[in-house]
Amino acid sequence: MKKDLISIDDLTLEQIMEYLDLAARVESIPDAEKASLLPGKLLATLFFEPSTRTRLSFEAAMCRLGGRVIGFSEAANSSTSKGESFSDTIRTVEQYADLIAVRHPKEGTARLASEIASVPILNAGDGSNQHPTQTLLDLYTIRKFFGKVAGLKIALVGDLKYSRTIHSLCHALLMFDQVSIRLVSPDSLRLPSYLMKAAAGTTTTFEEVDSLEEAIAQSDLVYMTRIQKERFPDLVDYEKVKNVYCLDAAMLADVPEPFKVLHPLPRVNEISPDVDATPYAGYFEQARNGMIMRQALILDLLDARPEPRSTI
Amino acid sequence: MTPRNQILLIPKIENGFVIDHITAGLGIQVMALIGRRPELEEAVVTLGLNYKSTRMGRKDMIKLQADLLPSRLMQMLALVSPGVTIKHIKNFEVIEKVVVQVPELFDNLARCINPNCITHAEPHVSTRFKRLESGSKYFKCAHCERVCTLTELVEHLKG
Repeated sequence: MKKDLISIDDLTLEQIMEYLDLAARVESIPDAEKASLLPGKLLATLFFEPSTRTRLSFEAAMCRLGGRVIGFSEAANSSTSKGESFSDTIRTVEQYADLIAVRHPKEGTARLASEIASVPILNAGDGSNQHPTQTLLDLYTIRKFFGKVAGLKIALVGDLKYSRTIHSLCHALLMFDQVSIRLVSPDSLRLPSYLMKAAAGTTTTFEEVDSLEEAIAQSDLVYMTRIQKERFPDLVDYEKVKNVYCLDAAMLADVPEPFKVLHPLPRVNEISPDVDATPYAGYFEQARNGMIMRQALILDLLDARPEPRSTI
Repeated sequence: MTPRNQILLIPKIENGFVIDHITAGLGIQVMALIGRRPELEEAVVTLGLNYKSTRMGRKDMIKLQADLLPSRLMQMLALVSPGVTIKHIKNFEVIEKVVVQVPELFDNLARCINPNCITHAEPHVSTRFKRLESGSKYFKCAHCERVCTLTELVEHLKG
């Protein structure tokens, strides 16, 4: 049976840990050896809304595994602009490619693609719903920095309402033991109540705190997000909150070691460039981890997982 | 009220179906569902509202003189008024009785409440909703994963 990756909710904690272990294994393979893992395989990246970073990360991942990539980077470049349905696009592209990564502004598109296609589907973001590859790379990054995910105190900052990255990450963190999540957001961008309620019956806790400073003092890591202009129906509302949280190096002067700042990128003003030079900046390594995690996922979905390396 | 009066108020039907124990006030909504079924175009339908019921306090009831009850109608009844009793009548006798409950999963009965769900843009796609967990009042769209209540879904029933 073919595999897909559509939603973090489809995964058990055990499967998530297997993906983190697989990514670690992939990272340890020398580049030259990695480049021969998927000769002749073709990935289609269908991006119905622009996302330079995620698309490049998928494409770099596939190319560095020795595979090749086809696709488009916005709906205007696809047959959708001629009136073709999403379903027909998927049915056509599956004739060409061995697996498909799809991003779309409407929720549910990746699931629908997985029902239609006979080749594996990777959800690269569906509307404000899920972004599972981002979540897995976030978890991989956290585990690399801290050696664990369970028991950590994590602050989520910024747009907690519309950010699918945040929603997916929360779903995943609920599976780990005793994660304490601090939430920092403007009133208009608070975490949806259904996610807060989902913590009932788990050992994960949510707590809303008033300021970024307070969240930093109480946490092991801060996960910053961009206030997403494109998600606001009324730009006046966006102007009110766009620069409400700005993290700079001075705010990190007294943090305990180890401490990390993560961000899915791109950033605008929410992290000052002076944080880049501190030992706390984890976001560029996080971006690199994205490519590694996507390599692991591509290998898994194509049933081409590398064997564990011998330690002898 | 004597049994004799009851007979006068709710005349028996020779053949067809009695949809009983409809939550009081929902009878008209159930009538609208029946009206949407082309298979029941010729059926004679009697609607009774606000009858006294020992079990429910008040209830609505519908009698339908038809050979078959479309399965899609039964599925929709389960959503609109869970717990309704459907009695199959032949020669004035009840030959089968079922109590209809909300299923754990239902296919293509309602539109998703999320206007940005892909199922709205691709209307040929069958919607699917699954109860979050046993006993929960929440259902989740299999496509966009939006969680909603049964009441919200009933407001979005398909034809």
